[in-house]
Amino acid sequence: MSLSQLMLGPNVVLCNAASQTYPSCNTFTHALSFFNKIEGSQATARQTAELLRSVISQQRVPYTNQAGALIDAVKAIGEQLIAANPVELAVGNIVRRVLHIIREEDLSLTTAAIGGLNLSAVSDDENDDDRDGDSTLSAAAVAAAARSTLRPPSLQTLLEDTPVSAAVPQTSSSGAADKSSRSRKLKHDVIEAVNELIQDIVTCHEQIAEQAVEHIHQNEVILTLGSSRTVLEFLFAAKEKKRSFRVFVAEGAPRYQGHLLAKELVARGLQTTLITDSAVFAMISRVNMVIVGAHAVMANGGVIAPVGMNLVALAAQKHAVPFVVLAGSHKLCPLYPHNPEVLLNELRSPSELLDFGEFSDCMDFGSGSGSPLLHVVNPAFDYVPPKLVSLFITDAGGHNPSYMYRLIADYYSADDLVVQRRATAGN
Amino acid sequence: MSMSAYYQTRAAHHGVVTSDWLAQSQEAATRAVVTGGQEIVDGGKSGRAFSVIDEFNNWRKQPDLAEAVAAIRALAAVIRNSEAKTMMELEIELKKASDSLKSWDTTSISLTAGCDLFMRYVTRTSALEYEDFNSARSRLIERAEKFGEISYKARKIIAMLSQDFIFDGCTILVHGFSRVVMEVLKMAAQNKKLFRVLCTEGRPDRSGLRLANELAKLDVPVKLLIDSAVAYTMDEVDMVFVGADGVVESGGIINMMGTYQIALVAHSMNKPVYVAAESYKFARLYPLDQKDMGPALRPIDFGVPIPSKVEVETSARDYTPPQYLTLLFTDLGVLTPSVVSDELIQLYL
Repeated sequence: MSLSQLMLGPNVVLCNAASQTYPSCNTFTHALSFFNKIEGSQATARQTAELLRSVISQQRVPYTNQAGALIDAVKAIGEQLIAANPVELAVGNIVRRVLHIIREEDLSLTTAAIGGLNLSAVSDDENDDDRDGDSTLSAAAVAAAARSTLRPPSLQTLLEDTPVSAAVPQTSSSGAADKSSRSRKLKHDVIEAVNELIQDIVTCHEQIAEQAVEHIHQNEVILTLGSSRTVLEFLFAAKEKKRSFRVFVAEGAPRYQGHLLAKELVARGLQTTLITDSAVFAMISRVNMVIVGAHAVMANGGVIAPVGMNLVALAAQKHAVPFVVLAGSHKLCPLYPHNPEVLLNELRSPSELLDFGEFSDCMDFGSGSGSPLLHVVNPAFDYVPPKLVSLFITDAGGHNPSYMYRLIADYYSADDLVVQRRATAGN
Repeated sequence: MSMSAYYQTRAAHHGVVTSDWLAQSQEAATRAVVTGGQEIVDGGKSGRAFSVIDEFNNWRKQPDLAEAVAAIRALAAVIRNSEAKTMMELEIELKKASDSLKSWDTTSISLTAGCDLFMRYVTRTSALEYEDFNSARSRLIERAEKFGEISYKARKIIAMLSQDFIFDGCTILVHGFSRVVMEVLKMAAQNKKLFRVLCTEGRPDRSGLRLANELAKLDVPVKLLIDSAVAYTMDEVDMVFVGADGVVESGGIINMMGTYQIALVAHSMNKPVYVAAESYKFARLYPLDQKDMGPALRPIDFGVPIPSKVEVETSARDYTPPQYLTLLFTDLGVLTPSVVSDELIQLYL
């Protein structure tokens, strides 16, 4: 490993390894080298989506089972991306979104093809008898089964079990011209859909900010912690519509990003008060609403947010202040958190809390017994349980925490919860 | 006093019973079967309807088989013995059989839910498919038999989903003997997780004793508590795991008497309550309070004679509202209580 590789971090080593498996992926190598330096889930999500788009467009697909090949390719890259940074959940979310897009596009093409096949089959009775070995599978049944395999398992499909793989040999026996046009169409549709996804990621702030007027009214006092671009745009949008309100900003130790937010709010003419995190409980009774951003939203409605957010949420509950979380849909993660304070957290350097010069002898491994008496824990994130959240405002509208499962069912497929490339060959 | 056949069966399978209670219940069960047969007076059909209930009872006797599976197998037998020539006829026969099963034991929710699920499947598929009658019939029979496998797979899926939530060094409180929860704990033990189980006695069946027995065989550290000791030990508990006799539309559960109490205590001490239930237990009920459901009575043997003017609360089950439950592990995935009504609406719409 050369020095330059060491400096750029483990992601570059990974991407070099990956570029050996995908020799045509120069864009992949180039883009992945930026991952270590990207901060913020929106930028990460966008980079991931663009990366996967280039992987898909460069991937050669065989004539049969194009979707399977694309899914395998995306899963292979996705596995590596997720492993490189498991705490940045946006990466996994976008990988799963793209997988869901591939499955959906394949399904709509298949049903269209079957519809065409049905028409031609009606006129040709002898060919029908040859082809339909399993006579129990009518085209309608296959389409229904295909639809049901895409949707997450439900009570409706509990008793059904028609195999979808039988549909593939049926459709592939149709003419060669059909096959090649279908393969091109699938890739084209998928890339179009991924472009839409990238558009959604980029414009999520505007779509959330549009809803600001419904929630912020005249002469309100709003509390926020740290700095979030979504919250900033949200508050600006309300200001544009001539709402007058004041903002309390908790500084968000140890990174003190609240200071930056306060500066930007003042630049736009909003009355701002800066407070320490410890003062939140004292001030919460004078606040009408708490509006914060999130790092990720889990499937049960729990929120992974910058450290200190749990404090604010508990204080808000005690004084019955609505706790509103703004989150773009790329932050919605289909996993259930079972130990989020440990598994979904990042421990940062103690230098943010203590100066090396003054405290270096307390934390020195070389002195005394070898293990320092002073430990510094600097977690980056906090977990806010769903019962403390009043409302989620996403680019798909405002929702209850208990409604998150619906958005997840819309955006993700059940098969993709574990992003792992299957070792077996074939379907 | 009318007995609940469902809870009798559960007690017979999992409880520790005294012999004269058993004699009492046997007598009551045979009485019920006879009256059930005499109620259905349809010329020519009475023989078949009687055999539905018989068939169902035969399946239900097996301790490892779920109620809903037994019900669906009984309905499959109806299809096999039927002489119908069209789908419509078959559907009508099935509806009669399903209604007679449901009315024979009104207290069993999985029975009702299983029958409804199968009827729904029959109605929906016969509308969609344009195939001939015999192939449709054979497919229905095949699906019904496969349902037993589905239910067995369901327990495995639920066990896999809940593994992440059991961490090393945790203490789990369980109530009542649920085969699904047993599967969860078995899998956790096989995955070499280190955990401890607190097991309530579960009066009057004392099914907790059986459960403790089974867990001891797996080398899992078990501690037995009397039902009243739950609040006393709740602070050393990390999570509560229960099964369900039925999951209702609000997202709450109907389970053995005592579950509501435990959920209340757990909620007040901020401990998560996890429910492991297969999806065919979802039922279209919406109880508003404890007395809203039909009574499911079960005799309690106190060991000493009780004076006749003293009443005894003999209900075998209670309803736990959804706000006291944290997550439901089902074969449809991990669900929050609010997802249940969504699933039910999708099925019935």
